[in-house]
Amino acid sequence: MKYVIIVLLLFILFSLGSAMFYLVKGQGQSKNTVKFLTVRVVLSVLLFLFIILAAKMGWIETQSPSFLQP
Amino acid sequence: MSELSKDQYYVPHLAKWPIVGSIGLTTTVLGAINMLNSENPGTPWVMYLGFAIILFMMFGWFGDVIKESENNLYNTQVDTSFRMGMVWFIFSEVMFFAGFFGALFYARTFSVPWLGGEGTGLATNEVLYPGYEGVWPTNGPGDLNGHYDIIDPYHLPLVNTLLLLTSSITITIAHHALRANNRAQTIIWLIATVILGAIFLYYQAEEYIEAYQQLNLKLSSGIYGSTFFMLTGFHGMHVTLGTIMIAIITIRVIKGHFRPESHFGFEAVAWYWHFVDVVWLGLFIFVYIL
Repeated sequence: MKYVIIVLLLFILFSLGSAMFYLVKGQGQSKNTVKFLTVRVVLSVLLFLFIILAAKMGWIETQSPSFLQP
Repeated sequence: MSELSKDQYYVPHLAKWPIVGSIGLTTTVLGAINMLNSENPGTPWVMYLGFAIILFMMFGWFGDVIKESENNLYNTQVDTSFRMGMVWFIFSEVMFFAGFFGALFYARTFSVPWLGGEGTGLATNEVLYPGYEGVWPTNGPGDLNGHYDIIDPYHLPLVNTLLLLTSSITITIAHHALRANNRAQTIIWLIATVILGAIFLYYQAEEYIEAYQQLNLKLSSGIYGSTFFMLTGFHGMHVTLGTIMIAIITIRVIKGHFRPESHFGFEAVAWYWHFVDVVWLGLFIFVYIL
């Protein structure tokens, strides 16, 4: 399950990097910067929800036991 | 002022800010050296004076750049160099955090298990650190600064993650609003972002107070304490800077700066905020949870 977190993180980094690319190359005319930043935020929310779910279900081993875990 | 062609630079006359910046840096460093003299520690006020001169320089220089930009003195050549400046700045930021994350990963994956006897570290463990298990989180075989507890990720860090994620959503709404030329919406969502950033900083301070006073988790708590406070502390500094930058951008939007087709200052700061949020996600996962 850790791989899901890594893959989502890589997608987040990719969309952040793409936004930077269009920020530099688009000279302010490109819509792609805001588009990729929006994708970045949506992916981050998904990653956050997945982490909470994974911790709650015990799919990932966490540093400290938590009230979320059974 | 006539329009400049693409291959010409706008060169301002009487640019006094570089020399002011140099004086500020020199004063800061001299003040810091003066304080570090262990025989006869000096007053910190020389360093503070240096900081004040640097702040004065930044305020004045950035203000001049904004004025020149609003007076249409900049052409596409200058615009390109602003964008390239952003690229190099972000490159240095990525390297900066890569260094600290790298230290964390190296310690967790290699050094600590070696001290605990894994791999080729069996003799190291048995001869030098017998009984040391090498399990993260650890303050090392020396038990530096004594027993400590780690922060429960599902209290303040969870709240802080929600705050920063929400602030990324609000700044994205502001971004869309600016592109749609809806200034009122842009201002409202920018103010919301600044407030969320400030609340994040408040809770981060609360967390540090709890760590120091109740958990005995300190910067001196071995490898765990060092990596924890260096990563979260520098991230906190970035949130502070980002919050100040968004506040300035909000004032600029209120003053009527930026157009849907020309808003590099806004976009650069928005991108920076997204970057700081992604760094926090990395911290939440690799420092607090896993």
